[in-house]
Amino acid sequence: MNLYRYDGTIEGLFSAIDHILRHEPDPQSVELEVQEQMLFDEGQFIATGTERAEVLMRRFSAAYPENARQVMYCIFSERIDMATSLLHYIHQVSVHGSAVEGNLNDPDLHAVHFLARKVSREVHRFKGLLRFAMLEDGSYLAQFEPDFNIIQPLSVFFRGRLRAQEWFIYDVKRSLVSHWDGKSLDYGTLESFRSPELASEEHEVRTLWKAFFSHIAIPERKNPQLQRSFMPMKYWKYLVEKE
Amino acid sequence: MDTLEKLGILSGSARYDASCASSGSRRSGGEGVLGNASSGGICHSWSDDGRCISLLKVLLSNDCRYDCAYCVNRSSNPVQRASFTVEELVELTIRFYRRNYIEGLFLSSAVMRDPDYTMMRMAAVVRKLREEERFAGYIHLKVIPGCSRELIDQAGLYADRLSVNIELPSGDSLKTLAPQKKKETILEPMAYLGEAINANRIERRKTRKSPRFSPAGQSTQMIIGASPESDYRILRLSQGLYQKMNLKRVYYSAYVPVNQDTRLPVLANPPLQREHRLYQADWLLRNYGFTPDEILSEEHPFLDQKLDPKAAWALRHPEFFPVDVNRADYGSLLRVPGIGVTSARRILAARRYAVFTPEGLKKIGVVMKRARYFITCSGRPVEKLFDRPTLIRQKLLVAETASSPNSLKQRQMSFF
Repeated sequence: MNLYRYDGTIEGLFSAIDHILRHEPDPQSVELEVQEQMLFDEGQFIATGTERAEVLMRRFSAAYPENARQVMYCIFSERIDMATSLLHYIHQVSVHGSAVEGNLNDPDLHAVHFLARKVSREVHRFKGLLRFAMLEDGSYLAQFEPDFNIIQPLSVFFRGRLRAQEWFIYDVKRSLVSHWDGKSLDYGTLESFRSPELASEEHEVRTLWKAFFSHIAIPERKNPQLQRSFMPMKYWKYLVEKE
Repeated sequence: MDTLEKLGILSGSARYDASCASSGSRRSGGEGVLGNASSGGICHSWSDDGRCISLLKVLLSNDCRYDCAYCVNRSSNPVQRASFTVEELVELTIRFYRRNYIEGLFLSSAVMRDPDYTMMRMAAVVRKLREEERFAGYIHLKVIPGCSRELIDQAGLYADRLSVNIELPSGDSLKTLAPQKKKETILEPMAYLGEAINANRIERRKTRKSPRFSPAGQSTQMIIGASPESDYRILRLSQGLYQKMNLKRVYYSAYVPVNQDTRLPVLANPPLQREHRLYQADWLLRNYGFTPDEILSEEHPFLDQKLDPKAAWALRHPEFFPVDVNRADYGSLLRVPGIGVTSARRILAARRYAVFTPEGLKKIGVVMKRARYFITCSGRPVEKLFDRPTLIRQKLLVAETASSPNSLKQRQMSFF
């Protein structure tokens, strides 16, 4: 079994995959792992070549947009043990076409399919659970701590939905922030975070929301277990109705 | 009365409406437009009863001139009355939407002066939202039976979904429990909506520029357990509504005893389990190609409370099984307990490349604790009990309670 290594970055991953697809006669027999900083690291290291990585990403996305989306979701998961599966996935799709993903009896295709599903579920969940608060200057701020690194797809979603207002989305766990100013969407990291002052109407609106939340439940049907199965407690920290 | 107090009263009165779906409509935002609608629907929270909160669900007013026996807002009840002003409700919706609390608005109302007056007020809210605030979020609007067609036409241009509540499963029950409502005045607008929605779809296929009319279709709801109709009768009614009136969904709402009235049954608890089984059967009608007569009959008019209706059907039809997962068509796969729409599609896609083993099925999400009694994998059975339905039934019931003592309760309302 051939073992290749890359530097752990996304560009590195795609550079290595590009290299393997071009030079290995049987990519399915190849494994790909992140370089460990040890003296005698087994395997061949593939240096990151940004250009080649971009070409591969661009071509793959153009030819197989649905599959490219699955790959991106796996990358958002930040699971570094997925490199081999992603290599095999991209190889199989490139050779057999998009529909090969349906071959869920194949362990690599299975792994990619179900991990992507898990990540896209979290994206979907936060489309509903993200809460924005109005700040003193009229802009809005949402804070969250997702399991996966999903600030990018989520920001794209809110660019479409809340394009009429200025907002920030802040991934507290990863210190990542995105900003929509009404015209463009930017990403950055935060060195330090100081809770900004809230707008004066914020308190009133939250009180209204909490009142709605408590009155909309039918007391005779109370079912906290069911509530938690849909909305696990790990999400409650930033939910106005659960504060 | 301030907005906070009104919100308490008017959401408290709206909570008995089961639907909170925000799916089936796509509205794209744009320059200066607030919001959009995504066709999959999005839940924003789950209330203490475990039901999804997607829309700001409120009544415009709970000041009702009708006196329906089952309703908390009936005119003879001494509850506090409140009505939103148009401005108040529009502001509330916008403020919640901008904070991502909600997907949009679900607006219903008690019948204030008369149906036309009420419907006009409701239309004024959605018109202001759409035209002045340029709101592109989801709007579900109740149609008040008895209002004029012009008002329905207008409402359909602003709303994503319209619905008329059928309230009870039969005309007789309506006569007893809601004497001021008539079956005909309820069915008439439903039929009208069904035609208008259909005509609009055809029109929009010709020219994309023609305005959309209730693009997410229409739905309805009925109260279960306040009147004597059987499950069989209810399912036949639903089937008729789906086929003849183009409904997207029929919602079943377990009767919650909010009033004391000699015309109503005395129940210790709302019949949640019955409601749950009806939703399962409704799913079989809409997505699994079942007919009401396959699920129930005049002789057996009620659903098995202990077993889901698909498993119950399978046990009554041993001649249909085993189904070979590596050969059977989509329709037959769907008939297997433990194989749903997703699993059936996955099986079809994957078996083009390799045959399935029982382990493979489990890995792609087939519920093997149910499916194992009904399938073969390329001729090889998992269990050899096909001709012993009584034994399978016992095993299914044991598997159900063993895996999770609360599984029934858990699933109870996962259908909203």
